[in-house]
Amino acid sequence: MTRSRRYPLLFSPANLGPVRVENRIVLTAHLTNFAQDGLPTDQHAAYYEARADGGAGLVITEENSVHPTDCAHEKVIRGFSPEVIPAYRKITDSVHRHGTPIFAQVNHNGAHGDGTYSRLALWAASAVADPLSREVPKAVEEQEIAEVITAYATVATHCARGGFDGIEVQCSGSSIVCGFLSPMTNLRTDAYGGSLERRARLVLEILSAVRDAVGRDLAIGVRLCGDERIDRGTTITDALAVAQMVEAQGCADYLNTAVGATTAKSHVFDRLKHVPSGYSGLISAAFRGAVSLPVVAAGRYREPAQAERALRAGHCDLVGVVRAQIADPQFAYKALSGHTEAIHICASCTHDCVVRVRRNCSLRCTENPQAGREADSAPREVSASGSAQRVVVVGAGPAGLQAAIAAARGGHEVIVFEKDSEVGGRLRLAATAPGRGELRDLVRSQLAQCLELGVEIRLSIDATPAAVLGERPAVVIVATGSRPRRPKWACDAPPRSPRLADVIDVLDGSARPSGTVLVIDELGFHQATSVGELLAARGCAVEITTPAMVVGADLEPSGDLDRFNVRAAARRIAQSTDLVPVALEAGGVQLLHHPTGTIERRLVDWVVLAVPPATEDRLYRKLREEAPQLDVRRVGDCMAPRRAHSAVIEGERAGSSI
Amino acid sequence: MLPRSGIYGLGYGARSRGQGGVRQRSAAWAGRGTCGPTRRGRRRQVAALTSLIDPVRLGRRQARTRVVFGPHETNLATRRAFSDRHVAYYRSRASGGAGLIVVEEASVDDSDWPYERALLASQGFEGWSRISHACHEEGALVIAALGHAGGQGSSAHHQRVLLGPSPVPDVETREVPKAMEREEIEAVIAAFAIAAQAAVQAGCDGVELNAGQYSLLRQFCSKLTNFRGDELGADRGELLARVVKVTRDAVVSVSAEGLVGLRLSCDERAAWAGIVPETAAGLLTALSPLGLDYLCAVRGSGFWTAATRPDCHVEPGFNREASAVVRTALPTGVALVAQGSIVDIALAEELVANGEADLVEMTRAQIADPLLASKLVAGAADRVRPCVLCNQACRVRDTRNPVVSCIGEPRSGHETTDPYLDASFASGPVEFPPSPQSHVLVVGAGPAGLECARVAAATGHEVTLLERDQVLGGMVRVAARAPGRERLAALVDWLEAECRRSGVRIETGHEVTLEEVDGHEGPVVHCTGSRPGRRNFELATGASVATAAEVLSAERQIAEPPPSPVVVWDPIGGPIGVGVAELLATHGAVVSLVTPDHVVGVQLARTGDIGPANARLQQRGVEIVRRSTIVRVDPRSVTVENRYSGERRVIEAVLCVDAGFLLPEDSLWRASGGCQPRAGDAVAPRTIHEAVLEGRRVALSLGVGDGRHGEVASR
Repeated sequence: MTRSRRYPLLFSPANLGPVRVENRIVLTAHLTNFAQDGLPTDQHAAYYEARADGGAGLVITEENSVHPTDCAHEKVIRGFSPEVIPAYRKITDSVHRHGTPIFAQVNHNGAHGDGTYSRLALWAASAVADPLSREVPKAVEEQEIAEVITAYATVATHCARGGFDGIEVQCSGSSIVCGFLSPMTNLRTDAYGGSLERRARLVLEILSAVRDAVGRDLAIGVRLCGDERIDRGTTITDALAVAQMVEAQGCADYLNTAVGATTAKSHVFDRLKHVPSGYSGLISAAFRGAVSLPVVAAGRYREPAQAERALRAGHCDLVGVVRAQIADPQFAYKALSGHTEAIHICASCTHDCVVRVRRNCSLRCTENPQAGREADSAPREVSASGSAQRVVVVGAGPAGLQAAIAAARGGHEVIVFEKDSEVGGRLRLAATAPGRGELRDLVRSQLAQCLELGVEIRLSIDATPAAVLGERPAVVIVATGSRPRRPKWACDAPPRSPRLADVIDVLDGSARPSGTVLVIDELGFHQATSVGELLAARGCAVEITTPAMVVGADLEPSGDLDRFNVRAAARRIAQSTDLVPVALEAGGVQLLHHPTGTIERRLVDWVVLAVPPATEDRLYRKLREEAPQLDVRRVGDCMAPRRAHSAVIEGERAGSSI
Repeated sequence: MLPRSGIYGLGYGARSRGQGGVRQRSAAWAGRGTCGPTRRGRRRQVAALTSLIDPVRLGRRQARTRVVFGPHETNLATRRAFSDRHVAYYRSRASGGAGLIVVEEASVDDSDWPYERALLASQGFEGWSRISHACHEEGALVIAALGHAGGQGSSAHHQRVLLGPSPVPDVETREVPKAMEREEIEAVIAAFAIAAQAAVQAGCDGVELNAGQYSLLRQFCSKLTNFRGDELGADRGELLARVVKVTRDAVVSVSAEGLVGLRLSCDERAAWAGIVPETAAGLLTALSPLGLDYLCAVRGSGFWTAATRPDCHVEPGFNREASAVVRTALPTGVALVAQGSIVDIALAEELVANGEADLVEMTRAQIADPLLASKLVAGAADRVRPCVLCNQACRVRDTRNPVVSCIGEPRSGHETTDPYLDASFASGPVEFPPSPQSHVLVVGAGPAGLECARVAAATGHEVTLLERDQVLGGMVRVAARAPGRERLAALVDWLEAECRRSGVRIETGHEVTLEEVDGHEGPVVHCTGSRPGRRNFELATGASVATAAEVLSAERQIAEPPPSPVVVWDPIGGPIGVGVAELLATHGAVVSLVTPDHVVGVQLARTGDIGPANARLQQRGVEIVRRSTIVRVDPRSVTVENRYSGERRVIEAVLCVDAGFLLPEDSLWRASGGCQPRAGDAVAPRTIHEAVLEGRRVALSLGVGDGRHGEVASR
């Protein structure tokens, strides 16, 4: 591979023990839920292969469980079962086809596991319940520690026989090793507890056993947590000392790093908006200063320039790039070949790569509808010119743009009508709310793809049936989105009642609430919370109410709910739950507290509604009426108002099936 | 496929296949021949009361008993098809004497994928065939449940739009469905017919249509969700009628004796617009010419998650009034199946004897004891393992896809792997090897110790069970003190009775010493439970802190007058913290419940009690302090800190109740060398489910283990 002039460090080779990597971009370990019945699948192979094909320097698989007491999630890979070896071989063959090395991460989740699947007690250093799993683990006896160590070695042997080039021992976040290292969770008084040397004994014994098992031909890595950020947790001082012990022992070839305990539901998680890119750079830099082993850093490196900067600043020797390579498997190749601007930048929505996976579904990507489906089939490439058809897409929100992309990719001639002067639809407005700016990357990347594929976009145009039919399209895809809806209780406004606005009106500037504002959250997503924040920042006194048990309930699995609550506390945003709005009245709103049946009143200047919008399907209906023979399809909110990932996937399906 | 004689419902002798296993079972059933008629004869002299174990006519078929195993989610599927585990699961209920088994619902087409392991009708044929074959061999009728969840489904798996009558967001998921277009409606109607035909061709005795709590058919019937401007909106019963009709035609086209049942929500619990029993009766009147064979009257809508299968906080038999109303609309010959947390045999018998119902759905009762009906037949109603309506292991609508099971009978859902124990009531040989018999000492009579003693005695060991308290049951008795959870005690009552029946020597008030353990000839099993956990807050001199267990077990003392005001600290979010707060509030205390979470009782989502628990607490005036931890307890106050703002608040309190994590009580185990087997909380404090499971595993491993015993026995 030639070295990129723009990113000279990123595209320089490096050695991890016996393994040479051609560039510094690492697809680090992340859960996918692709496994079935404890075994890796063809989808695993296709997924990793796509990233290897796209130029990643190194691929590290998701965790492989070392022991039957650890089935932390339903779709775990049961690395301890010899049956995995042929499946491993499929994965490694696929990745090696592109000359890319691949390592397997091995792990025992300890107290962070879930006894539901194994029907066994969790194993951990001490009987300290993890605040997330809330299951008291069994404190392992010494012979069980020996069993765990042997288990790591056995699984390492399976990995070696499966063709992996290296083994990464997970010692950060969700792992039994992390639990032993941390004084918060290791209360043992035997040889494995107490001083740091004793707490670190387990990891050293595991590394030594793994090295004995695989010999010197494979690389061995350790992923350490630099700072747990919890009371009495592992500190950076401890972590550096452990790293030095690991180096001194001589079994490990590289060091991977992480920040934060998985239990610290804190504001510095390794994901998402409101967290600057490369936030963990200082931690990895500290490791790099303490040891001479190559150090990998992870932490929202979304663009090649950020990664290059981290290398230049000496923060790390290799850069973990996960979500950016989920969104665009060709991330590395595009950066290397000088097409950086063609990279589809990850919008950090985490909806399909983090939240879906936490909900036990397989990994997907809002931005890249192919992600997680690599084994199904490749996206259809340009078809024979004979079958090319004229396609009109109405509406340039995420659904319409994706439909246009998919249709154009299929070789069709595509025209997009958009009534606004800009593309992006509701998403563009949502991106103007505090902390939601990166959503713009989704719109930007869709637009770039449209232009690249020669899609014609006509802005500020009223797509009447006549205008659409005038184009003589073979297929019309209607993606006209939704429009604000006023709920029944808000339809009759008595005199002197508060002013009403939809969240959309606030975002597009057509309403400017002031004074005391009540935001009604019936959507449970970002709408109410982000607009509430926006108004609070403008000096309004904001209260958010919801009929549900929690404001912004669906923000929980992404961690956004925690971060919102930190900001809400700072901005003095009040939150009230279990309240159903029943009527407007002079100066305020009546709310029914449904658990007790009592009526509460709020005196406010403004009421802002985050309620389900209505489908904007008038064009669709007219077209069906006026041109019943025409192939008219609907996608996104104009079918049923939902979230961006539904819009994109429906657009993709409609456009690619022409 | 079995010959379609239509007579296997008649009784246990009707089986024609003479395999050994079946013959043995027939022999076991012979008990009924001697005791059944005698009992019935005696009853006839008093009054000709119908019993649960009498046969009943269903359309042109007959079920041998009136005990129904109703449709429910199991997560046993392989992808979207029935699995071997399904077959074993249903077979064990059939061999246990159920009259009618309604297998887990299948989606009629792939526009519906409500949970990951939801069955799909087009992949159901082989499974329906194997399940009906297995259950027919055991003498039960088998019905395939068919449905479509509509707007209450999930878009996570097929990543497609949800379908509904109108774009009304689901209350739970807030997802807006697409208002179905004509062709989509026609496709779903046709899918019902195709699925029904396939199910009956596969060997099922009929199908059951779901218009219950989670169903598209109900959404069309209801003013809560159907705002259509077309004829399906003008007559909200129209779609249901059309589906019943095409299903009936499809079923009859395969078998003239095929059954069509309907599960209908007769009360949506949303009186402002929802279906009430009178509306349901109206719907049924319109349906009656279409030829239903039975109706199962349920309740619920999108508004109340646990309406159909609530936990123990809801008194059983809640559908009686609604059933009485809809019964008036049912033509003669249409059987009525009662549903509604019916787990008590007395209540079930009463419903049948009064003529309130023709059959009784006792689903959870048969998850807890698959042999329920056969025990009734054998005149041993008192030996039926009780369902305590905890919903902990059997309610599996959870993204983690847990497999259906039962805290008291952990073999449920694991029939293909876990050993079979109840040889005395039915079928087959006992599947575990007889271990060398010895004298087993079980220390501690909580659920783990009781189950261990019960199983050890059943497998031929001599067993001594020693308990330090005056009563048996351990923490289960304590947990049962919380309001609405009294039923939990029934499980330990049953375990105690079974132990006594099988000759376990039981001593209470006996604190076991190290000398006794060391001096015992034979295995010793440690089931010593838990002790209070570590505190993560500061405790000032003179401040008083009690554990949740202390408060619950001192109920009688705290009742008059209760300590007040009180702060309850619940870092777990399970039933205990909520229960202790409810108990104190019920006795008149001013209570603040402190949780680190955004909502109280997060773990109760699984049992369906999270919403009701939050409502009960607020109705009882409990202040819920969210997103906070306790930092300090003083004699007259408790200081809490908001996890997000860091702000501290001082709450007046004379007592702080710690409902936090516990530690294993393993001092005797450690003192005796740490090599003897242990089970339950003594390993790691968890729930009744793990205690029973491990108690059983240890009992089965006695004399055959490697010293590790039940702790890892499932490998």
